[in-house]
Amino acid sequence: MTSKSFVAALLALAAFAFQPATASGKEYILTSTKPNTLVLVDPAARKVARTYKIAGPGAPLGIAPSPDGRIAYVVTNHWGSVVGIDLDSGNEVFRADLSDGAIRARNMFGLEVSPDGKELFVMRSPVRLGQGEYEVQDVGIAVYRTDAGLKARPDRILPVPRRTTGLFMAPAGDKLYAVSWDIHTLDPKDGKVLKVDKVANWDRPNYGTPDVFGVWNQYEQAKMFVNPYFVARTDVAPTDPSAAKTGLLTLDFATGKVTMADFEDSAAIMFSSVVNPVRRNEVFSVYNTLTKTDIGTNRLVKRVTLPHTYYCLNISGDGKEVYVAGTVSDIGIYSTETLERIGEIRLPDDHDMGGTWIRMVQR
Amino acid sequence: MKYTSWRFLAAMVAVLTLSGLASARQAEAREPSAEALLNAKCSACHPRTRSGGLFRVDEQRKSPEGWAMTVRRMREWHGLIVSEAEEQVLVKHLADRQGLAPSESAPFRYGLERRTLVESPDDPELAVLCARCHSYARVGLQRRTAPEWRRLAHMHLGQWPTAEYQAMSRDRRWWEIISGELPDKLAAKWGFDSTAWTEWKTHRGPDLSGSWAVSGHRPGKGDFHGRMEVRRAAADSYRMTYSLTWADGSATAGEGRSVVYTGYEWRGATRLGDERISEVFQASADGRRLEGRWYLDDQDAVGADMVAVRGKGAIAGLSPAAVKAGGSARIVVSGKDLGKTAIAGDGLKVDKVISATADSLTLQVSADPSAAAGPREIVIGKAKARLMVYDRIASVKVEPDTMVARLGGNGGPVPPAHAQFDAVAYTAGGLRIGPVPAEWSVANFDEIAEHDQDARFGGVLRPDGRFVPADAGPNPARRGNNNIANLLVKATVTDGGATIGGTAHLFVAPQRWNDAEIR
Repeated sequence: MTSKSFVAALLALAAFAFQPATASGKEYILTSTKPNTLVLVDPAARKVARTYKIAGPGAPLGIAPSPDGRIAYVVTNHWGSVVGIDLDSGNEVFRADLSDGAIRARNMFGLEVSPDGKELFVMRSPVRLGQGEYEVQDVGIAVYRTDAGLKARPDRILPVPRRTTGLFMAPAGDKLYAVSWDIHTLDPKDGKVLKVDKVANWDRPNYGTPDVFGVWNQYEQAKMFVNPYFVARTDVAPTDPSAAKTGLLTLDFATGKVTMADFEDSAAIMFSSVVNPVRRNEVFSVYNTLTKTDIGTNRLVKRVTLPHTYYCLNISGDGKEVYVAGTVSDIGIYSTETLERIGEIRLPDDHDMGGTWIRMVQR
Repeated sequence: MKYTSWRFLAAMVAVLTLSGLASARQAEAREPSAEALLNAKCSACHPRTRSGGLFRVDEQRKSPEGWAMTVRRMREWHGLIVSEAEEQVLVKHLADRQGLAPSESAPFRYGLERRTLVESPDDPELAVLCARCHSYARVGLQRRTAPEWRRLAHMHLGQWPTAEYQAMSRDRRWWEIISGELPDKLAAKWGFDSTAWTEWKTHRGPDLSGSWAVSGHRPGKGDFHGRMEVRRAAADSYRMTYSLTWADGSATAGEGRSVVYTGYEWRGATRLGDERISEVFQASADGRRLEGRWYLDDQDAVGADMVAVRGKGAIAGLSPAAVKAGGSARIVVSGKDLGKTAIAGDGLKVDKVISATADSLTLQVSADPSAAAGPREIVIGKAKARLMVYDRIASVKVEPDTMVARLGGNGGPVPPAHAQFDAVAYTAGGLRIGPVPAEWSVANFDEIAEHDQDARFGGVLRPDGRFVPADAGPNPARRGNNNIANLLVKATVTDGGATIGGTAHLFVAPQRWNDAEIR
């Protein structure tokens, strides 16, 4: 055992012994580039700590670190497989090929690890390749045991509505949230629907159907899902500036509480958002601009233009820095106070990030 | 990555004329060979149905390009191994046996001719369910049974699992609609069986060999006329030679090959001067007229509208097709073996027959200063052609009025895609006078484009109205952003001391990474 992995093992033990896991260890960013490369970044040093070449074709999309920070579960193989990469050894320690026989399945959205690290939840869109024809199958969440090795097969499949995107676990591990048109709270053991919070099906007079499209899972710091929504008012002329509203939807993983509130007449495209774990009223949203919103008062605090488009973002555990990512080949670092660009990390060989995820991991 | 633009025509025509259709004798053996191919290459996955047909294959009809797209997908997605020659024999056989009647392809020929335009779907639901991703023409150029439309829906989500998550999809029950009620609607609108096809499939395609008079217009270069000699190489397969004269007096010779599908779908591959072109024409039922568009193989936005006619006394077109009141014009009437006397309409006078050849009659025509603006007829023998009289150019429209050029090159696998504009003059009453020379310029389309200096970065508009887009990829001078642009294309035309302007909207977009035979 190398000294580095020994330290990591000690840290992992410590994390196991002293919850919460994030209390100890150093904070890293996990993200990826083409071709099929997982990238571990040291944000404090403003540099790439290590890269991991994933075997086989494709490029990483979804990334979910284990709670102990040792394993990164990564969607690869053209969205057809989830592999677990040991961040110390670089070895592939878990592999689930989503397709099975005549069933071809893909994962584009929805990847989550249980808080105890024992189970992996993978949203799955299958089609049966029959003789001369395709037959679209019901979607579902494939649940894998993380100790299932390199030929993992689902332990069970939980039914969910079509168009499900985000999958998030409650910290206690007793609830699984599945975001689609509405938010379904499921029992992770059997998929039983415990609660449905209306989103697209909301009953709000004079408003149309809100468009919520949460692609990324980047909510480990505040343990709160937050996503922009866009909605048209039906009681004013479409030409009225207030006819299109932007708001934020939140889901607290601990309590299951859902909120939705508009904060502006739509003025900017926003792809994804993150909550500040320290000042939990602060939300940061990204696309061509970086937007800071106060969800206590539902007000736009500040918006700055970014040097190029970014799709996703995450935030430091101390709530001081946001990291914008997902496109081109850099992570932009912004102050949560001022929204100034205070740093940047270029990824190896300027390889494209290709819409990947950005996760924070303590190790 | 190898880039292929999916102009299947050039390659296909070459293969067909060189191989299976190289001689009439081989051509006679074509049908059994195509059936043998269907058996050998298709029936493993497409089992025989109770009626002896092939599952799925026998429940759809489409254009030659549509069948080429299907065979390519079978090759790329499902491991079909066929030689180019075999592929083209299959396409020919399927397009002949299960093609579209001329009246069925008529509304969507722009899709086959690779014209860029803003479509006007006649069904707003289909426009969103289908044509949000690809052209409406791609759908409208297919005929299927209801179960077959449903299987196509399953293919879509099975092949592109993100489709149900996209904008204009996730706002509705897209999958439930397209796999539920939509197939029945599509089968009612574009069903497998039709009277038009029942009638057309018995039609025997005419032998198109012979001597043709040609008339056409190429935006950016002008009108042309001349002769096309067509020689039959095998059944439905031809060799052509062209001799064309352009409005500026220059001459171009050409040589090519063509294959005719479904009795009327002429697809040619020709070297014209130093350019290689693809021809997408339709032959009239009587085989006396060919009409359509050709385009450059390496820039399909650049091309020409063309008409060819054969048979004594037929007119292909006039160049120019307008004369100014009080003015006089030298007009070339393209046509086969035209009579040597011409009668012009009200207020017009044929001053002189300048020359007469087997392919054209050149006239000097003057218009009375008091002649009212409007269409007239030039009558030569039994043939008639329209000639416009105009008083002044009141407005100019730029064609196409909305266009997309694409960044490319710069070391990347996709070459740039040019745009070609033409200035077309109109009278005060909105009558089309025709294409006119113009000065071209480009400007920022709106405030955002102004801010981003799109006109500086997007590319260059040449004096002939051809837009050459800038390099693909990040531009350091643009803070690493690429050269996409939102532009206003301006044409300035002078007429009798007056200056008249027209504009078009040009999007300079990123590369098209996935092209198709029908976009």
